[in-house]
Amino acid sequence: MNVAAFVVIAVILTAYVLLDGYDLGVAAIAPFVARNERQRLAAMQAIGPFWNGNEVCLIAGGGILFALFPRAYAASFSGFYLPFIVVLWLLMGRGISLELRDHYPNRMWRQFWDAIFFLSSALLVVFFGVALGNLIRGLPLDAQGYFLGTFAFLLNWYALLVAVFALGALALHGAAFLALRVDGELNQRAKMAVRRIWPVVLVLFVLVTVATFFTHPVGAVAVAFGVLAFAALLALRALARAPEAAIFGISSAFLALQMGAVAATLFPYLLPAFPQSAGAGLSIYDASSSPAALVSALGVSIAGLVAVAVYGTIVWRMLAGKVHVAE
Amino acid sequence: MDVVLADRLQFAFTIMFHYLFPITTMGLAPFVAWFTVRAYRTQDEERARAAAFWTKIFTINFAIGVVTGIPMEFQFGTNWAAFSAKAGAVVGQPLAMEGVYAFFLESIFLGALFYNRGRIPNKLQAVAGVMVWLGSWLSGFFIVATDAWMQHPVGYVVASDGSLQMGNLAAVLLSPFAWWQYTHVLAGALVTGGFVVAGVGAYYLLAGREEAIARRFVHLGTIVAIVFSMLVIFPTGDGNSKNVTQYQPVKLAAMEGLFESTKGAPLAIIGMPDLQNKSLIDPVFVPNILSFLAYGNFDANVKGLSAYATELWPPVELTYYAYHVMVGLGTIFVTIAAVAALLLWRKRLFQTRWMLWLMMLAMPFPYIANEAGWTTTEVGRQPWIVYGLMKTASAASPTVVTGETIFTLIGFVGMYFILGVLFIYLVLREIGIGPSGEAQVREGSVEAVS
Ligand code: HDD
Ligand code: HEM
Ligand code: HEM
Repeated sequence: MNVAAFVVIAVILTAYVLLDGYDLGVAAIAPFVARNERQRLAAMQAIGPFWNGNEVCLIAGGGILFALFPRAYAASFSGFYLPFIVVLWLLMGRGISLELRDHYPNRMWRQFWDAIFFLSSALLVVFFGVALGNLIRGLPLDAQGYFLGTFAFLLNWYALLVAVFALGALALHGAAFLALRVDGELNQRAKMAVRRIWPVVLVLFVLVTVATFFTHPVGAVAVAFGVLAFAALLALRALARAPEAAIFGISSAFLALQMGAVAATLFPYLLPAFPQSAGAGLSIYDASSSPAALVSALGVSIAGLVAVAVYGTIVWRMLAGKVHVAE
Repeated sequence: MDVVLADRLQFAFTIMFHYLFPITTMGLAPFVAWFTVRAYRTQDEERARAAAFWTKIFTINFAIGVVTGIPMEFQFGTNWAAFSAKAGAVVGQPLAMEGVYAFFLESIFLGALFYNRGRIPNKLQAVAGVMVWLGSWLSGFFIVATDAWMQHPVGYVVASDGSLQMGNLAAVLLSPFAWWQYTHVLAGALVTGGFVVAGVGAYYLLAGREEAIARRFVHLGTIVAIVFSMLVIFPTGDGNSKNVTQYQPVKLAAMEGLFESTKGAPLAIIGMPDLQNKSLIDPVFVPNILSFLAYGNFDANVKGLSAYATELWPPVELTYYAYHVMVGLGTIFVTIAAVAALLLWRKRLFQTRWMLWLMMLAMPFPYIANEAGWTTTEVGRQPWIVYGLMKTASAASPTVVTGETIFTLIGFVGMYFILGVLFIYLVLREIGIGPSGEAQVREGSVEAVS
C-alpha cells in the first residue's frame, strides 16, 4: 500500500513535469524565439488555455502528498521554509503575468508582464532543479525528518548542475510544444530551437548522469530508466523530420523516463538523508498515514485522476488546433 | 512576538484576502453559466455579450483567486507543520479531493470557456460554463468540509503515536457542521453575486449606458439577491447557530456577549462587551429571543462565558463584533433586496434612481458580511485549531522562527497590495468598456485565436 502511494505521488509529479514543463519551457524560450508582439501573443495563447490545469497537477499532488504522507509534507514544507515561500511567490508571479498581460492593450504593460513571466518561470525551473538535485544527493535531517542544514548547503555544485539540466530539458520540451501549437514563422523558429537546444541537453545529460554515480549509489532500475531516457534523447535527434506531435511525444517520454530514474533512485525514501551511508531519512513507511487512511485517500485520488485524464484529454483535443499567427 | 502569533496573522491576512475572490467566483459562476447556456440555446447576440462580459470579470477574479489560493495550501506545511503532521491524514484528504475533483474541473473548463470564443458561444462553451460552475461550488464544498472538521472533528481515529487518522471519509464530508456551513457559505456567495450583478446593472442604468442589457442584470440580480438574502438567514444561518450552540457553546456565548448563564436569555442587538466588568455596555436587549434562537424554547438555559475556564474563551470582543456586523448587514440586505424586488414587481425599479444608487453603493457590503462571518467562525474557535483535540498554540512549525514568518508576511502584504490595486483597476476598466464595448474592442483587437 505504501508502495502504491509512492507510485501515485511519482505519477502525478511526473505529469506535472510533462505538462507544466512545457508552459515553463515556452516561457523560457519565448523571448528568444518570438520576434515580435504578434508572435509573443501567439506563444502565450499556445499555453493560455492549459497552464492552469497543468499547475493543478502540482496543487493536487501537494494535496495528495499531504493526505498520504503528512509527516513528509510537514517536514519538507517547514524544513525548507524560505525556498518554499520563494517558489510560491514565483508561481504567483508566473500565473498573474500570464493572466493579466492581455487584459490591457498597452505595450509597456505587456513588456512588463512578459519580463515577469520569463523571470519567474526560469527561476522556478532552477528552484525545482535544485530541489531535485538535493533530493537525489540527500539532506541532513533530524529524527523527525526536519532539515538541519543551511540555505548554502542546498546550493551545492551537484544541485546546480541538475538545475541547469532541468532548464535545458524543459526549454527543449517547450520548443517542441510550441512547434506543435503554432504555425507560420514562429513554428519554424520553434523547430530550429529544438535543434539548437538538443546538443546542450545531450552534454548536460551526460554530465548529470556521470555526476550522479559519484553522489549516489544507483540501482539497476534507475540505470534502466536512464538508458531508455538516453535512447529517447537520441531518437529526438534521429527523427528530427517526424511530425510535430511525435517530437513532442518523444520529448515527453524523455522527461518521464528521467523522472522514473529519479523515483527509482529515491525509493523507498521521500526525504533521503545525507550522507547516504547514514541510511536514515523519511521513508514511505515511517511518514505515511495509517493503512486505512491510505486506502481511502488512494481510492478517491485514483478514481478522480482517471476521470480528470479522460475529460482533460477530450477538452485538450477540442482545443488542439494550431494558434494562427497573424503576420 | 511569538511565532504562533506571527503564523496566525499571516494565515488570517492571506485567507481573508483569498476569500474575497472565491466569494465572487462562487457567486458569479451560476450567472456565467446561465448567460452562456441561454446564449447558446437562443443564439442571441445580446445574451452572448452578457456571457462574454461576466466571463471576463469572472476570469480576473479567478486568476487572483488561484494565485492567492496556492499560498493557503502551502501554509499548512510551511507554517503549521505540527498541525499537518498530527492531523494531515484527515485534513489532507478533502484537500486532495479538492485538487483532484474541483480545481481540475474548474481550470480545464475555464480554459475552454475563455479561449475558444466566437461571437455566440458554441456547445463546448455551454458545457464549460456549467462545469466551471460545478467546479467552483465543489471546491467550496471540500474546503468548507475541511474547516468544518476542524470545528467539529468526527470520523477520525487516534493512532498509537497520537496522530489523527481518517476513520470514515463519508462521516467527515457529510457531518452536520459541514452541511450547514457549506449551504450558508453558498448562500453568502450568492447574495454577493446577486448584489454585484444588480449593482453593475444599476450603474449602467444610472449612467445611461447599455440600457437593455443592464435591465437584465438588475432584474436577475435582484431576484437572486432577495431569494438568497432570505436563505442566508433561514434556514442556513439558523442551522449554523444551532450547530454552534450544540458543539461550541463557548463560542456562542462570546458571539452573543453573554457573560452569565441565563434562563430565558435575551438577544443583545447592540452593546459593547466589557471584559473587566463582565457585562455589555449600553445594551439593547430583546427578551428571551436568544434562548429561542439557540434551543427553540423561550425559557431555555443558555450557558454564559463564566461557566467556562477563561483559558477556553475565544477573544470575546472580536468574535462578538464580527458576529454582530454579519447579522446586522444580513438584516439590511433583506430589506434592500425586498424593496428592490417590490419595485421590480411594480415595474418601477428601472426608473427609481435612488434605489439604483443604493444598489450600486451596496456592492461592497456583502463582502464585509462574508469576512465578518468567517472571523466569527475562526476567531470564535480559538484557542483550538482542531476543536477539543489540538490547541493552536502547539500547531506551528517547530523549525520556523518568528523572523522568517514576519519577513514573508511583509512580502505577502506588499504583493497583495499590488494585486488588489491591479484587480480593482482591471475590473473597473472592464465595467467601463461594458458588454457592448467589449464586442467592439474584440473585433478590432490583435487577435490570434485558433
Ligand atoms: C453575505 C454574507 C452573510 C450574511 C448576510 C450572514 N452570514 Fe452568517 N456567515 C457567513 C456569511 C453571511 C459566512 C462568511 O459565509 C460564514 C463564515 C463561516 C460560515 O459557515 O459562513 C458565516 C458564519 C456564521 C455563523 C458561525 C458559524 C460557525 O461559527 O461555525 C453563524 C452562527 C451565522 N453565520 C449565522 C448567521 C445569521 C443568523 C445571519 C442572519 C442575518 C447571518 N449569518 C448572515
Ligand atoms: C474564507 C474563509 C476563512 C477566513 C476569512 C478565515 C479566517 C481566519 C482567521 C481570521 C484566522 C485567525 C484566527 C486567530 O488566530 O485568532 C484563521 C485561522 C485559521 N484558519 Fe481560517 N478562515 C477561513 C477559512 C478556513 C478554512 C477553509 C480552513 C481550513 C481548511 C481554515 C483553517 C485555519 C487555520 C489552520 C488557521 C490557523 C490556526 C488558528 O488560528 O486557528 N480557515 N482563519
Ligand atoms: C485554508 C483554506 C484554503 C486553501 C488551502 C485554499 C486553496 C486554494 C488553492 C490552492 C486554489 C488555487 C486552485 C487552482 O489553481 O485552480 C484555490 C482557489 C479557490 N478557492 Fe481556495 N483555499 C482556501 C480557502 C477557500 C475558501 C474558504 C473557499 C470558499 C469557501 C475557497 C474557494 C476557492 C475557489 C472557488 C477557488 C477557485 C479560484 C477562484 O474561484 O477564485 N477557498 N484555493
